[in-house]
Amino acid sequence: MADVAGKVSFPEQIRLIAGLRWQILRNQLRKKGSRVDLVGMLFAAFFGGLVVFGLSFAFYWGAYTSVSTGEFKWLVLLFWGILAFWQLVHIFMAGFGATFEFRRLLRFPLRMSAFYFLGLAYGLADFAALASVCWLLAMTAGATVANPAIAPALLLIVVLFLLMNLTLERLFSSWYERLLARRRTREVIFGLIILTSVSAQFIRPLIERYQHGAPPWVLHMLPYLSFTPPALAGHGVAAAADGRWVGVVSGAVGLGLYTFVFSSFLWRRFAAQYRGEELSESDAPARPSLQQLSKAAAKSGALDLLPPQVAAIVRKDFRYLTRNGFVAVALIMPPLLVVLFSSQFAGRHPSVIQRGVTPDMFFPAMMGYLLLMLMMPAYNCFAYEGKGIQAYFTAPLRFRDIFLGKNLMHSGVMAFEATLSMSILAWRIGRPSFPILTATIVAAIFSVVGQFAIANWTSLSFPRKLEFGSLRGQRNSGGAVWVGFGVQIVLAGICSFVFVASRWLGSPWLAPGAFAGLAVASLAGYFASLDALTLLAEKKKETLIEALCR
Amino acid sequence: MTGPAIVTEKLTRRFGNLSAVDAIDLTVAAGQFFGFLGPNGAGKSTTIKMLTGLLAPTSGRMELLGLDFSSHSIEVKRQVGVVPEGMGLFERLTGSEYLNFVGRMYGLDRTTTQQRATELLEFMQLTDRPKAMIADYSHGMQKKLALAAAVIHGPRILFLDEPFEGVDALAAGALKALLGRMTERGVTIFLTSHVLEIVERLCSHVGIIHKGRLVAQGSLEELRAGIASEEGRQTTLEEIFLSIVGQGGADRPQMEELSWLM
Repeated sequence: MADVAGKVSFPEQIRLIAGLRWQILRNQLRKKGSRVDLVGMLFAAFFGGLVVFGLSFAFYWGAYTSVSTGEFKWLVLLFWGILAFWQLVHIFMAGFGATFEFRRLLRFPLRMSAFYFLGLAYGLADFAALASVCWLLAMTAGATVANPAIAPALLLIVVLFLLMNLTLERLFSSWYERLLARRRTREVIFGLIILTSVSAQFIRPLIERYQHGAPPWVLHMLPYLSFTPPALAGHGVAAAADGRWVGVVSGAVGLGLYTFVFSSFLWRRFAAQYRGEELSESDAPARPSLQQLSKAAAKSGALDLLPPQVAAIVRKDFRYLTRNGFVAVALIMPPLLVVLFSSQFAGRHPSVIQRGVTPDMFFPAMMGYLLLMLMMPAYNCFAYEGKGIQAYFTAPLRFRDIFLGKNLMHSGVMAFEATLSMSILAWRIGRPSFPILTATIVAAIFSVVGQFAIANWTSLSFPRKLEFGSLRGQRNSGGAVWVGFGVQIVLAGICSFVFVASRWLGSPWLAPGAFAGLAVASLAGYFASLDALTLLAEKKKETLIEALCR
Repeated sequence: MTGPAIVTEKLTRRFGNLSAVDAIDLTVAAGQFFGFLGPNGAGKSTTIKMLTGLLAPTSGRMELLGLDFSSHSIEVKRQVGVVPEGMGLFERLTGSEYLNFVGRMYGLDRTTTQQRATELLEFMQLTDRPKAMIADYSHGMQKKLALAAAVIHGPRILFLDEPFEGVDALAAGALKALLGRMTERGVTIFLTSHVLEIVERLCSHVGIIHKGRLVAQGSLEELRAGIASEEGRQTTLEEIFLSIVGQGGADRPQMEELSWLM
């Protein structure tokens, strides 16, 4: 008779899973690429930490001032700030979150309580939650220093506010997860996130418009805000300062009710996951016949002028582009940003007129910014190949053809985007002078071609697989990101120097001439690099295949 | 047939201190249907990866169709078809797009590629959902597509790593017939499979690798001749395999150790 394993206690299950996470992390660090990544992450954590630490002082000071002066509406605002940051920022930071799916553990006899606890614990592991907890602690310290008598009530309110935020964030996340299970939905939501980020640019015009008074419907809504968690928390602390214990209790009960309601919903979501909720996508529907496809595919075009392998890569990459909603959204951004920036800084704007920003200055700066955005994917150009990368090594072709195809496709997209953006710029803020237009175009060629040579190298040296239609864990490797930024800073410095020198010397055609020389040099360097990269690809093939075939 | 299709000399691949493939000398004649066998982790896939250019050998030499692989890799690859371990598909293309892509990568012109892609998709019964992306294919459909891609350019050597895994019986029968026809026309097929019955039925010659070393190589008859069997009964490949790799059961897990399970 076979044995049956005994029951494992709740703390033991948590301990085992924590041990598993630690082992996974430790094993990941055995790989050189992961160690480079870790260095990148540590840098990011260091700078993120500085921001959090700096803002902690602001929260400390805000809470201290608010309590010591009796202006508790500022305390409510601080609570609002933390709520907004905690609930919204983690969506934007999705790419840096934990990639471990704890639902995989469901195959084991995991208790529902352990599953729920783990789900909550993961909520505390992201940047937004950690930063918010730091700021809540800073607020607690500031308010306590201002009035030590309120410390017990304050602590209760803060703990309840923290729990409420934690459960609400996990609830949102589990709903997102359900929504994001479908690729198209993921792409739509990602697009909305991007558009929301961009829309932040409109905050200033809105403030300018409504600075003398809010619309009446907003004023009618204000009393209801006192039932929101930040208001309950702020009023609870205010009541503690005034010695109104009923106010403290009502604030705490209100927050407790919110936490209870969110927890109940969260328990239901987690219970569905615990029972094995299947969120994967269904099969794609059947479509027209093969003959139609054959005719479409048999059409010849300009690509036939290229070697067949290069043309095949260009075609394949174009198809991948049209099937990748995230990339498509990224391509909408440049013209959109041109519209937004030109709205803010167009010639009509007083700040622009006062500071003398002309199309001749705005035009190259804006184009440089757009190139910076559009070039980043080139630094990990095999990201979406997946297992297909093996085909590049088994097929009878050299890697120079693959790079040529990929770079050609990327250049085509950039040329389209740049032309569109230049047209919008010309329409919004006016045409730059002919020498500046020429200089900008030639500078773009110099910058793009130069970057391709280095980006091809980082694509081989720091490959990272990216999934179509996924948000979480989708980021290039630290090595590629840092090299990319470094190269772009250097190129931006060179271009700025040439433009400034040309203007300072009063010689408008100096810049186009200098950039033409640089562009020729970068083209020569690019073509010279292709053979070296072909050899490097042979050396790096195991790294590449391992990284992309996971 | 002329000279051998595949020759390796002291082919070795090390991962740190581990010799995944340890100085193997392999010879496969042109037109042979060669089965390459071994237990899990024996070095089969590592060998195929080296022979197809997916992995660089640590030392040793490989010659395919009379050409040294290291100095003529492009020429060799042009004449070789591969179904690698992970199939190597571009999952965000449709089946038709993928075959067209592969055909062009192997230098076929557009019309020929298109024609062959259509015929192969029909043969593999992959025409039902022409706009479905490969990512939405079942495992068996992906296997069939990988096989179609491996033969679209009419290779002279075909490397197949577990080609029938996940393929339904109907399609597997058609594939076996196709592979048989290809060997009749002089194509060399190098196949790995854990299903010994398939290897026994298809392959004329077999190589057995164990712990990175080539421990047996020859025709099935030659291998049978080396193994004692009951009178009047032909030794099966499974018995040959167990006899060579398991050394009469010495390496096989002892059931007594799992008494708690029984």
